Amino acid sequence: MSSEFDVDPSLISTVSQFFSKKSGHEVVVQAEAEGLLRDLWQATEELGLPLVGVDEEAGGNGGTLLDILTIVKLAAQNAVPLPIAETHLAAWLLARSGQKVSEGPSTIVPGSPRDTLALRAGVLSGIAYDVPWARHVDRIVALVPDETGSNQVVEFSPASCVVTPGTDLAGQARDKIELPDVAVTSAASTISAEQLNERGALVRAAQIAGGLEAVSNLTRNYVGERVQFGRPVGKFQAVQQHVVVLAQMATMTELSVTRAGRAAATRPASFEVYATKLVANENARIAVRAAHQAHGAIGMTQEYRLQQLTRRLHAWRSEFGTEVQLALRLGAAVAEAGTFARIATDDNNHLEV
Amino acid sequence: MQLEATELTADELALQREVREFLDKRLEPGTYELGLGMTGATDPDFSRDLGARGWLGMALSSTYGGHDRTAVERLIVVEELLARGAPVSYHWIADRQSGPSIQKWGTEEQRQKYLPGIASGELSFAIGMSEPDSGSDLASLRTKAEPTEGGWVINGTKIWTTGALTATHILALFRTSEHKHEGLTQFIVDRNSPGLTISPIPFIDGSREFCELSFENVFIPDSERLGDIGTGWAQNTGELVLERGGVDRWMSAVTILEHWAADPAIRDNPLALADLGSLAAKEWAFHGLSLSIARMVDEGKSPVTEAALVKEMATRYEQDCVEAVLRHWDRAPDLTSDDPHEALLARALLVSPSWSIRGGTNEILRTIISKGLASA
Ligand SMILES: Cc1cc2nc3c(=O)[nH]c(=O)nc-3n(C[C@H](O)[C@H](O)[C@H](O)COP(=O)(O)OP(=O)(O)OC[C@H]3O[C@@H](n4cnc5c(N)ncnc54)[C@H](O)[C@@H]3O)c2cc1C
Repeated sequence: MSSEFDVDPSLISTVSQFFSKKSGHEVVVQAEAEGLLRDLWQATEELGLPLVGVDEEAGGNGGTLLDILTIVKLAAQNAVPLPIAETHLAAWLLARSGQKVSEGPSTIVPGSPRDTLALRAGVLSGIAYDVPWARHVDRIVALVPDETGSNQVVEFSPASCVVTPGTDLAGQARDKIELPDVAVTSAASTISAEQLNERGALVRAAQIAGGLEAVSNLTRNYVGERVQFGRPVGKFQAVQQHVVVLAQMATMTELSVTRAGRAAATRPASFEVYATKLVANENARIAVRAAHQAHGAIGMTQEYRLQQLTRRLHAWRSEFGTEVQLALRLGAAVAEAGTFARIATDDNNHLEV
Repeated sequence: MQLEATELTADELALQREVREFLDKRLEPGTYELGLGMTGATDPDFSRDLGARGWLGMALSSTYGGHDRTAVERLIVVEELLARGAPVSYHWIADRQSGPSIQKWGTEEQRQKYLPGIASGELSFAIGMSEPDSGSDLASLRTKAEPTEGGWVINGTKIWTTGALTATHILALFRTSEHKHEGLTQFIVDRNSPGLTISPIPFIDGSREFCELSFENVFIPDSERLGDIGTGWAQNTGELVLERGGVDRWMSAVTILEHWAADPAIRDNPLALADLGSLAAKEWAFHGLSLSIARMVDEGKSPVTEAALVKEMATRYEQDCVEAVLRHWDRAPDLTSDDPHEALLARALLVSPSWSIRGGTNEILRTIISKGLASA
């Protein structure tokens, strides 16, 4: 059945070809050494990709939530070393608080419990941890409480912060930033920290879906070519089992992301989104193990593609909701509702997580 | 492999509400024996009531007493039934498998003879495929159908025939020639055929659904042969989507989870809540997978690999459900308990290993999936 959420197949094939051409193994290696590759970003921006899913009135490129989830997923399939997901979250937050968005790589402060960012009389100060890409982007966007406790969206340049560089497991920037009393413009936010976290969870789940599909395909091809005992190792049932598990994990995650995206585009969908992030996390854990096992030693080397994907999966799993956090929250919501079966049977189960 | 997301339409949601309203009254908690998914109790009255509502043989043609409904509509009804642990055994196989097979491959006479009774819940079918020496390697089966005046004579043994004791008919696969796959033909066997002896094989939990069928010169008229001679294997593989991709592959433990989720004791237990949350996320995901597969069937596709892919992981998930609940029990549950939920949990513990054996073992499914993926 076709639906209003269907993503234009020509968008999918264009974006998919673009990323697979532009983000080969060497490019990802280079980005790991050098940071944000501005040429690559430029080319991505020329296609208008990062600001899809943000209204045109706000300066975005229009399109639906499903469109940007698809773009982010296709980028992840190719381990594209760019802050596309982060730029989307930043732009979405700005647009939702009535601000204009502009081009250039951006990022979002994901909001760690240790963060101390606060806004007092238009002056921003404090520390934020684990900010992806912070030192490389044009602007950092954050949701911070003001003196009355209400949420404000603020935008500032990494140049105005003291940045302590760090990296995530995929070798991408993930920095600590410290703001020494910086005057900023702010706008009251209609988005809560929880809603931002939810959007982040959905976007990360879409990345995991893309990563899983790539890992699944890479492994299936590899075991079809690698010969031991006189035949492709993929002929052994024990190896086929890994291939099957990978296809299962990829298929389940991809479908869940699309369903959650369609739900989130139309109504409150915290259950669907967090269930999807949890499914994605658990599936990533299982898939990473299976893919490496099926590859043998080659998969453990930096010269081979697999690790560029599996290290990203590790990183994405750990952001915007980890397994135990999500499972506890979902479990509490289900126990509160007192019914399990309705989760399966109801398209909209109205659970609030 | 990608599956397309889909939601229920307004009409489908209306059907869901209708089914719920009916079942809320017809199956008041405590008034029926709680089941584990498709092995719910055998209750011909209940099956007839469902038939009267038009909720059996839904996908069959109205020419033969069916209802011209879709696979998704059937999924909605089945989900509601399994969510309640409803007594579905009497009609289960006929509704899921035998009816659609007869509609597809049967003669006009066979359709008129059997389909109205399947749709009304009068008829109950069992599947006669496995034999003592032919399990996963089904095509090695040896029970012979030999031509005779006006029909066929059957000799041999079928085994693991679920529900044969209470069934009215068995849809059975017999050898009609020595060609491995092209030598197999399906027949509709009357349960009361002279020479057919049906004996129960006590199951691990003491239940008596499992049967052995002994055929001694059983005569079957040629009019009960399904399709052309030698097409039995092809017919079977065609129906696997119906058998494998359905919600019955991840809902066997749902009554247990339903009870557990409502237990106030787990609210303060973070370990239990985390287990519940993790299972709930998967439950939601599996619903989506089955719904997508049903939609594909309605679009005329045949998602055989997809269905196998889902079944293989869904049955492991069902087993995880049982294990999770048991992890939070402080003793082994009692099969003879007066508390029906405890007895059900004990049964689930005993029978859950069979979930990844029946309908094709997980090992065999993995081979099918990996062949399907390679040729995709
Ligand atoms: C609850 C239940 C209900 C059933 N109901 C019916 C019914 O109504 N009608 C009916 O006809 N049958 C029924 N069956 C039988 C079912 O179809 C068979 O059990 C199943 O096909 C497996 O056959 P088997 O038990 O002989 O195991 P075997 O085929 O002997 O297998 C034993 C083990 O070897 C593995 N194995 C076998 N071959 C391979 C291979 N090529 N590669 C890797 N591993 C392999 C299997 O996976 C399994 O782990 C039922 C079974 C169960 C458990």
